Amino acid sequence: MTTQTLAETGQVKRAISLRSVLNNAGIGLALLALILFFSVFTEHFLTANNITNILTQITINLILAVGMTFVILIGGIDLSVGSVMAFAAVVAGKAITLPGFGPAEAIALAVVAATMTGVLCGVFNGVISAYWALPSFIITLGMLNIARGAALQVSDAQTIYAFPIAFEEFGSAMIYGVPVVFIVALLLVLVAWFVLNYTVFGRLLYGIGNNEEAVRLAGHPVFWYKVAAFTICGFTAGIAAIVYMARLNISSPIAGIGFELNAIAAVIIGGTSLSGGRGSVIGTLLGAIIIGVLANGLILIGLSDFMRQMITGIVIVFAVILDHYRAKYTAK
Amino acid sequence: MAAADFDAAPATPSPQQAFLAVEGLKKHFGGVKALDSVSFSLKQGEVHALVGENGAGKSTLIKILSGVFAYDAGQIHLDGAAYQPASPHDAKISGVQVVHQEFNLLDHLSIAENISIEKLPRTRLGLLDKKELNRRAVTALEAIGLTDIDVRAPIASLGIAHRQLVEIARALQSRSRILILDEPTATLTKRETERLFEIVESIKADGVTVVFVSHHLDEVFRICDRVTVFRNGKTIATDLISDTSPEGVVHRMVGRRLEAQIAEGHETLSLGPVALGVQDLRTAANPKPTGVTFDLHYGEIVGIAGLVGAGRTEILRGIFGMDPIQSGRILRDEKEVRFKGPGDAIASGLGFVTEDRKGEGLVLDMPIAANSSMANIASVSNLGLIKFAEENRQARDAGAKLKLKYGDTADPASSLSGGNQQKVVLAKWLVRNPKVLLLDEPTRGVDVGAKAEIYAILKGLAREGVALLVVSSEMPELMTLSDRILVLSDHEIQGELKRPEFSEENILKLAYGRSEQAGGLTQ
Repeated sequence: MTTQTLAETGQVKRAISLRSVLNNAGIGLALLALILFFSVFTEHFLTANNITNILTQITINLILAVGMTFVILIGGIDLSVGSVMAFAAVVAGKAITLPGFGPAEAIALAVVAATMTGVLCGVFNGVISAYWALPSFIITLGMLNIARGAALQVSDAQTIYAFPIAFEEFGSAMIYGVPVVFIVALLLVLVAWFVLNYTVFGRLLYGIGNNEEAVRLAGHPVFWYKVAAFTICGFTAGIAAIVYMARLNISSPIAGIGFELNAIAAVIIGGTSLSGGRGSVIGTLLGAIIIGVLANGLILIGLSDFMRQMITGIVIVFAVILDHYRAKYTAK
Repeated sequence: MAAADFDAAPATPSPQQAFLAVEGLKKHFGGVKALDSVSFSLKQGEVHALVGENGAGKSTLIKILSGVFAYDAGQIHLDGAAYQPASPHDAKISGVQVVHQEFNLLDHLSIAENISIEKLPRTRLGLLDKKELNRRAVTALEAIGLTDIDVRAPIASLGIAHRQLVEIARALQSRSRILILDEPTATLTKRETERLFEIVESIKADGVTVVFVSHHLDEVFRICDRVTVFRNGKTIATDLISDTSPEGVVHRMVGRRLEAQIAEGHETLSLGPVALGVQDLRTAANPKPTGVTFDLHYGEIVGIAGLVGAGRTEILRGIFGMDPIQSGRILRDEKEVRFKGPGDAIASGLGFVTEDRKGEGLVLDMPIAANSSMANIASVSNLGLIKFAEENRQARDAGAKLKLKYGDTADPASSLSGGNQQKVVLAKWLVRNPKVLLLDEPTRGVDVGAKAEIYAILKGLAREGVALLVVSSEMPELMTLSDRILVLSDHEIQGELKRPEFSEENILKLAYGRSEQAGGLTQ
């Protein structure tokens, strides 16, 4: 390369990185602005207790949203995560209350039961939608009903309780005021970030979201990658079930109704494109925090829960409009 | 618009006299001249053929006549008055109707509903008048001799040929004076084609003028009265069919274009063994019982010529395992192989530079480096983790080899020009060192400079012993690159041309002439 092209190169690179920084930083700045706003206008927002409170509240949504990011990145959607979480919780609840196990074995059994239930539901979603090239919207809508029905059937529509003490302690444990369950969620975010950015698997998921045919033509088994994305989403629903049980000490077959919508909202607010191929799990983390901060802050400044819901909805619509312009901008 | 109108004789001047006259028509798309001085005329009750290579301007003219595009300069007169339709609806009111290659039918509605879709009959209460709807459809279909059909059946239940007839019936039931048939026989069998021709004869007898766009000269000579030849956006001449011959028409289509490019320094090379054998390969798109057979040697570039729809791309896709094949055998190094998907083909040393860069070749939003490693990711990763430094090095090496002009390997592929994007597609395969490279329109949308570079790269690959199979619609390109050219028409190899026989005329003769045999060919 000549010196001239090298100089041009530098400029191009700067321009592009500036743009990408603006893209990602936009969400961060929005979050900072929100935090600033609520800190100034409410007394209790920026207190240790309240922050702990927010982190606890967003944990389950964040876990579901991490899995949802994988599915949305390949251009799919998973509407079943709320129901699958309830189903997994009920199965795990049955497992953990089986007689004849010590607390440690019972908890291990519950974790395996919950994640396996989630994984199986995810495999179902993935295989059916990828094999017949059906819209995942419909297939997972089916799974939403299947899993909810299964949860009610397995539990006989009864709430399951009386879990080991250790399990309960895990659910409410704190490290320096940070809930342990939130740390679990953060670890998931980190693993997902690593997988999406540093592995062949992650690279090809982005590729599939952008141009499935090009990836297929390059000789990659697109079918299995898609199945894997849905399976990961099911897996996180299983993890969410465990956290839910540990937090509330019950397994309810009617838990998690509407949770899929919050998870999708977190992913979209976080800047991941609904059409796939673009976005990041760090954005999803910020998106989930924004939803949590809004929910908490709006109540603190005295708005009703109905108003909070309306404003969250407006933020989602705004995020999608923003994504439209972002897509147009990068296409140029 | 009522069906009864069809029976009324259109009020037109006496036959023999031109009632539609086009003069000096020009049309630009950006900097590209699509039409550059087009003149021709239509007489009442004639069947008028428009022929010319792909991109010669036929489609643009049709779109102007049917009100899809406006024209930049020139004049069109219909019955002596200026004709400038602002929309397809306008054109229809003036009696100009087009039956497109891709049908404009609503699959899940009934035949009757489709026929009357522009103006559905209503009862006095404003509800759909089904009785009248079906009556009109029956009348419209009877008018073209179609009586054995239930007009209440959905379009989806019809075959291609019948769908086309429904389109024709729909076009004719409104007061059509000019019916434009765009490649009507492309998807028809011989029998269906015969039936279509009978219908054309009968509507011609009713005084309707038919404009017939076709790639098949034998058909043109069967049913047309006059033929207008297009070349490079110009009308070259209009001839009476009785005054000309297929050879004469081909000659006009080609003109006196330079055939010099071929000669330029092409060394005769010693061929290696057969890299890829294709025996009686039939793709799913091929309606015929016979397939294609050819051999591709190491170190050889074989071109595949043919018109759009001749089945060229389908053969490449079939070989590469992208589409299932109906029958036939593929041999790799003289051993039979069955590729279940592109992965198998790639593992066996094949690469495929696809026609559609944006749709199939590249992931535009992803970095250049990621695109060039897309088919070779195993070599730049370890245990599923990407080795970014290695990947970048590979992309830079390939970029240097292909003279790629780019900013940084981390830039998205969309930041590159068309020619450089195409080089990235090439890089994607070259980093694998393929033994057999399939290329579909390797320089589409690429500027002249980059084209020459890509030709040099491909020839270099052949010298290194790679076997190349190139599909292209650009004949100069095929003649520059190929050692042999196979000419395909209707999913059949019509003939094979060796270098000394290369000329556009010879290629076109084979590509157009289903029936006539051109001389000097090794078949």
